[in-house]
Amino acid sequence: MPETEKIAILPYRKVFQIAWQGLRIRLVKTFLVTSCITLALAFLTYILFSNGMVAGVAERASEALRQRLAREGILEQMLSAEQRTQTAWMLGIALMNSFVGIVNAMLISVTERFREIGTMKCLGGLDSFIVKLYLFESLCQGIVGTALGMVIGLVLAYAEGVSLFGREAWTLLPAASVLRILAASFFSGVGLTVLGALYPAWSAAHMEPVDAMRSEV
Amino acid sequence: MSGEEAAGTVVSPGGEGEAGVDLLATHIVRAIGVRKIFTMGGEKVHALKGVDFKVERGEYVAIMGPSGSGKSTLFNMIGGLDKPNAGKVFIDEVDIAALNMYELAWLRCHKIGYIFQTFNLIPVATALDNVMLPMLFADMVQAEAQDKAVELLRKVGLGDRVFHKPVQMSGGQQQRVAVARALANNPAIVLADEPTGNLDSTTGRQIIDLLREINESEGVTVITATHDHKMLAVSDRIAWLTDGAIERYVSRDALDIQEGRADAR
Repeated sequence: MPETEKIAILPYRKVFQIAWQGLRIRLVKTFLVTSCITLALAFLTYILFSNGMVAGVAERASEALRQRLAREGILEQMLSAEQRTQTAWMLGIALMNSFVGIVNAMLISVTERFREIGTMKCLGGLDSFIVKLYLFESLCQGIVGTALGMVIGLVLAYAEGVSLFGREAWTLLPAASVLRILAASFFSGVGLTVLGALYPAWSAAHMEPVDAMRSEV
Repeated sequence: MSGEEAAGTVVSPGGEGEAGVDLLATHIVRAIGVRKIFTMGGEKVHALKGVDFKVERGEYVAIMGPSGSGKSTLFNMIGGLDKPNAGKVFIDEVDIAALNMYELAWLRCHKIGYIFQTFNLIPVATALDNVMLPMLFADMVQAEAQDKAVELLRKVGLGDRVFHKPVQMSGGQQQRVAVARALANNPAIVLADEPTGNLDSTTGRQIIDLLREINESEGVTVITATHDHKMLAVSDRIAWLTDGAIERYVSRDALDIQEGRADAR
């Protein structure tokens, strides 16, 4: 069978299309997963930006601002070890929560589509196709959720920045740092989602078609 | 077709002994001594107790039997969906057990078309996309696949339902889509597991006739697992399965079909 290697290398457009239609049909569940990521990413982006701004105060803030902050004790409070540990913990928990949420939602999505997966395998779909389908699906959710979360986090961070540092908030972070933070947020958000989908996708793909179709959900 | 002559007699189970040395390539499906054991709640259930089963190219065979007789299990074995604990299954003289994951997918894609009791269409996809899917798995060019899918949908009488989703169609229409999908890659065998099980008797009849029509016009071998007696009248041969063993084969001529009831002589 010389064609063996070539089967089921579907055009990516089609895989994407099927995944996208699946997302649209299961709109409520899609929204849940997406909001999971959005919340976690809003938090992450917010923390990264406000930390960046606080660090920027030492290097870039004007003398007047520095004196005012020292007088009000804001900076000390923000830079205290206690405060930073607390933030790190919260950040960790938020990210883990969102990760668990994604894995859970994807597992449910796999379970309720056992029959569909079994059928696709009967029609000659390879395991890799099923994996691709789920990864594409999570990729879509990851990108949308992350982008949304980044916008929310960015707005919150700068709103707080402006309230604390006044107009100087805009100059505390150089463009390069802003880009770096955005990139870090984006990749961790999308990475987290795809990573969360990996196990559910793998377990869906490795089912025998009979087992997949026998189960009633 | 050669299948018709060979199928014309009632064969007792004892007459299957020579199955292992059959060298004729006319057998599209050959199962030899197939055994399957399931463990349910710690107890071993012998679903198939050494079944020998042969189907000739172009034949229309029904596997009949009460629920729990091992019908579906045998069907799954023939379809390469499950592996036997003992015995061998050959599809077109290829031992299924010897195939790797890719070859098995190739076999399912190109050689076999599946039809299920529950239709099993992809709910988010249109009729067209459902029929196109196996062709795309077979690496066919999209435009070509689309043309062929439309043609197949016309053939099953759904030329005006091409862009409908499964939820917008009746059970009979969904099963027609499934028939079109099963034929997508010009398979040698169409396997239908209780294709009329979820349909009323009129639509069930239409699906049976459609399968027979395809069997005659394309020369596709059709194997159905069923307990629908309407299926008997169109089958070339019926394998009666009881308690995980083939009790007897009955050819159509030997059938005594009565009102609402059909039984072997």
